[in-house]
Amino acid sequence: MKNTDKQEQYLKKAGEIVSQCDRCGACLPVCPLFGAKDIEFSSARGKNNVARGILQGVIQPTPAAMAVLNFCLLCRTCVDNCPSKVQTDEAMIALRQYFAEKNGTPGAKYKALGNLMKNRTLVKFSAGALKVLRKTGLNSLVPHGMAPGEFTRKEYLASFAGPAALSGSVPSSPVQLAKKAKAAYFRGCGMHMMFPDAEKESIAILRSVTDLQLVDNVCCGLPHLAHGLRGDFLAMAKKNIALFEKADVIVSDCASCSGTLKHIGAYFADDPEWKDRAAAFSQKVMDFSEYLTHIGYTPRHRVAAKLTFHEPCHLGRGQGVKKQPRELLKAAGDYIEMKDANVCCGGAGSFHMDYPEVAAAILDKKRINIENSGAQIVVTECPTCLVQLNKAAANSGGKFKVMHISQVI
Amino acid sequence: MITNEIKAKIRAIVGAENALDSTIECFGYSYDSSFVPMETKNIPQLVVRPAAAEEVSQVMVLANEQGIPVTPRGAASGRTGGSIPLEGGISLSLDRMTKVIEFDEQNMMITVEPGMRTIDVYNYAAAKGLFYPPDPGSWKYSTIGGNVAENAGGMRAVKYGVTSNYVMGLEVVLADGTIIHTGGKAIKNVTGYNLTQLFTGSEGTLGIITRILLRLIPMPKMRNTLQMMFPQLDDACHTIRDMLLTGVVPATAELMDRVSLEAVARYRKLDVDPKVDACVIMEVDGDTKEDLKKQADRIETIAHKNSVLEVQVAASQQESDEIWAIRRGLSSAIGAMAPTRLGEDISVPRDAFPETVRLIRKISEKYKLTIAVYGHAGDGNLHPSVLCDLAKPEEAERAHHAVDEIFAAALSVGGTLSGEHGIGITKRPYITKALGEAGVNTLKLIKQSLDPKGILNPGKIW
Repeated sequence: MKNTDKQEQYLKKAGEIVSQCDRCGACLPVCPLFGAKDIEFSSARGKNNVARGILQGVIQPTPAAMAVLNFCLLCRTCVDNCPSKVQTDEAMIALRQYFAEKNGTPGAKYKALGNLMKNRTLVKFSAGALKVLRKTGLNSLVPHGMAPGEFTRKEYLASFAGPAALSGSVPSSPVQLAKKAKAAYFRGCGMHMMFPDAEKESIAILRSVTDLQLVDNVCCGLPHLAHGLRGDFLAMAKKNIALFEKADVIVSDCASCSGTLKHIGAYFADDPEWKDRAAAFSQKVMDFSEYLTHIGYTPRHRVAAKLTFHEPCHLGRGQGVKKQPRELLKAAGDYIEMKDANVCCGGAGSFHMDYPEVAAAILDKKRINIENSGAQIVVTECPTCLVQLNKAAANSGGKFKVMHISQVI
Repeated sequence: MITNEIKAKIRAIVGAENALDSTIECFGYSYDSSFVPMETKNIPQLVVRPAAAEEVSQVMVLANEQGIPVTPRGAASGRTGGSIPLEGGISLSLDRMTKVIEFDEQNMMITVEPGMRTIDVYNYAAAKGLFYPPDPGSWKYSTIGGNVAENAGGMRAVKYGVTSNYVMGLEVVLADGTIIHTGGKAIKNVTGYNLTQLFTGSEGTLGIITRILLRLIPMPKMRNTLQMMFPQLDDACHTIRDMLLTGVVPATAELMDRVSLEAVARYRKLDVDPKVDACVIMEVDGDTKEDLKKQADRIETIAHKNSVLEVQVAASQQESDEIWAIRRGLSSAIGAMAPTRLGEDISVPRDAFPETVRLIRKISEKYKLTIAVYGHAGDGNLHPSVLCDLAKPEEAERAHHAVDEIFAAALSVGGTLSGEHGIGITKRPYITKALGEAGVNTLKLIKQSLDPKGILNPGKIW
């Protein structure tokens, strides 16, 4: 296919989506970005109409227009609140791809990021480097907190264990553990690079309930898809499809990975060679807490810590997994629901690095909600959220700690 | 043309970050929720976001001196193009003015800034046990200033009236920057012309509303929702008529035709029985459960006399919310059914409602176009939505003829061009038919005396 045809194809796709926008404005008060920078183009209506403006020739596809379309968390809050359910996130992804095709590249930064995530050796190397940075205390020098400090399960138990750890045994679940089902762990780049202790705990939990397969998988491809590297996304998806063919269930402890992998089938619907394999692959994917709840997992301990949950966008809105992590947390400690638990923390992949000030403004609202909940630990299920929430914890002056769900259950 | 010198002066007034001038930023202020096509010429040269009446006044002094067009704007959720800057210039966005200035419990009044969202006004009053009844479908995102400027209606109009029934006084910045105050807290007030009512619904053409004094009423202690399905549209209309005649006044009485129901069904879990031709949603309110039950029983009895197929009385708040979600999502759901939706807003005497719906159905058949009809049946305000594709010239012509005939139908039964959305751009061609030349000239004389240079929201109403 000629490149101009590709451009047309992505514009057309975006056009079909944004033509459904009635310009009513229902998305404005709910959009976290609009809450931090309240001018029209921050909102979904603003972006959908930039797309419409380009399609109708009212405005030109300039770098300024491209910047507007990049300025989106892809958190789907607008979709949830839209009376017509306009899929703004999908339109933005299509338009980013349009600009990448038009310019021949998504830009040096995203290209470099994409290459890093594509390469398994580099991902491992980065993980090692971050570990060194953390150990030497140099992580505070890394910009935008990409090497956040990590509060480990060991530290958590040391802080909150005691008599309460032994009392209040958790009632066992009537669900039979499906131990025979061959579950495989999908190793997310973010979890592996930045939160190795949490990753270790996820694996330990999964091993306690199933004969876990460890596969040397490649990146789920979401960073590539989000920034106009669709070709790389599709190539990695094929690798992952082939790698996991023997697994019955594919479990990921990263909401973005599991969300993306569940949708891979849709990206190959028109590909006769890969269609069935991709669909079968997507159907096997489960999020970590979704899987654990499904098989009736009971947390290893119950502690006297006050826990709250930050719901990652790709988990709640992306996959409809809302109850499961909360149920697990209720069984593992004193659970408190915080205000606006499902509102984006401003992390959104690399958004917090691209727009640190806006991301910080969004995060500050989250910090206040966590503080007001009175929780000692805020739990989540996505590495980017963990990075952001670690910054919030630091800004709160140590009022709360941040942990991945696998570290507390 | 706004020179850099003028921009610098405006930035000195409102702060540099509150005067946007890049094309991509300004583009966001060139459209609203109407079907007015996007155009490059509608992109304002400057978006100004003042934080106080004093800033608005200073900006207007400059604009008036320089002859710069100024189009005020709230959340741009209007459906007739009222906030589209047709002649470029300044888009004056009042969305930063969101404060409650005063809550006067003794007099049951609240003073707010125009950028406050309508639902926030409602919630603020509700938290104090008082009630601000107007609830346009857009109330979660539209601003109170926009509601006043367009004299927005809403679903509770049948029992409680529209925005203008609650506006007691205004602070307005005139075209030359003069700040005036109209009305006040005195319930009886015949001191001079009623400028409060003149500015309410003036669509930003006479002045910029910077402060609003609203009357509140006691909050009904409880409310409930009923949903009724009818085999014929006439049965639904007759139920509403019979009910009002016998003295049962629900807070709302909303009607949706079959096309509207199908639009919503696309987005919600809703199976529409093929026998159903119309749906009526009513809210009843009162002080006691018995009160509500009595009203619901009477409505049910009347509905059965009019062949109702199904009556659902909400058993919980959740059920009530679910029923209302259907109605509140309707406008946008219909909008998404076709490339273009010409959403109209006519208002007719209540007894002419069934006749008007019949006339619209004939128009739909005549021009072979789907026209969804829904509206506030209790107060005679209908929203016929012509679904079409304006990109197809032949279809566009048919659609415009259909709209012409819808307006003619409204006027023929003694109705009017707009119940709650205003005239804006989309109904300009019809206003002389509705008001007569002398009537329009009278409006123009008022405009001329308040805005002699014609800088305020040019190109609207006529």
